[in-house]
Amino acid sequence: MAEPSTTDAPLIARALLTDDRHAFAELVKRHQSSVRACLRKLTAGNHALADDLAQETFILAWRNLASFRQEARFSTWLYRIATNCWLAHNRKRREELLGDRVDTLAEDDDTMPHIDDMQSDHARGTTLRVDLERAMAALSEAERAAIVQCYHNDLTHEEAAYVLDCPIGTVKTHVLRGKQKLKAALSAYAR
Amino acid sequence: MNNAHDDPNAPSSTADAWLEDLMAADAAAQRDAYIDDAGFTARVVEALPAPAALPAWRKPIVAALWAAAAVALALAMPSLVADVMREAHRLLSAQPFSLAGVGIVLAALVALAWGAAAWSLDERG
Repeated sequence: MAEPSTTDAPLIARALLTDDRHAFAELVKRHQSSVRACLRKLTAGNHALADDLAQETFILAWRNLASFRQEARFSTWLYRIATNCWLAHNRKRREELLGDRVDTLAEDDDTMPHIDDMQSDHARGTTLRVDLERAMAALSEAERAAIVQCYHNDLTHEEAAYVLDCPIGTVKTHVLRGKQKLKAALSAYAR
Repeated sequence: MNNAHDDPNAPSSTADAWLEDLMAADAAAQRDAYIDDAGFTARVVEALPAPAALPAWRKPIVAALWAAAAVALALAMPSLVADVMREAHRLLSAQPFSLAGVGIVLAALVALAWGAAAWSLDERG
């Protein structure tokens, strides 16, 4: 992944003080890969949805740039917005589904496979990564978000708590429960 | 950095090391796989809300209102305005101002403002 060569602060200042869209475009270029990758994980590999949410994330970041404080890194702030976009999307989708058919609402994500499907796919010899992705999709929103922030985005528990807007202890609990579910789903890979 | 999955207090056992390795490898693969921009940034910039455009009549109207307020003040309190103007002239004429000096002070103020803004927005770490 391309790391920014210089700090983001001058670009943020230019975007904020002079409404400089070129400076903001440079920020988007720097962070688009990590934000899109994070959302691809959260959406269980739905690239189109992840890119739509990533676009929404950056537009929200532009609108709320004045509220960005140095309490977190800019990238962490973006992860927070991205996670909120994803949660809002899921909430909206749930409401739509509830309006249509309450009885068929088994899970909160249309990309979420059933364990049986996972096992049958595994039997057909799908790759470890695909299995992991599907096992991740079977986690609850909170567990998946906590694992993505702590493992894939390489955040500390404190930073993950900031992104998820919850106490550190809650993050740890979600990570632990998520790992237990992953362990059960991926037990075939245990050595 | 003390990452969450490196936390020695994390409730995991050595029996789960395979899962840790699996997740760490997947996370590392994700971090190493740079997603090509492929027009993403251009789409974002295009979708940004248009800058708030002030109506064209706003500036002249504001200037006219200030001028009217100044005239009203001068008419209402002519002696006070005259005193203020006289005192201001006395103060300014006593100072050795030069165009270059004023320019340097303005440039320093602008640099200070930008520096303060950049510093306040500087990222942690």
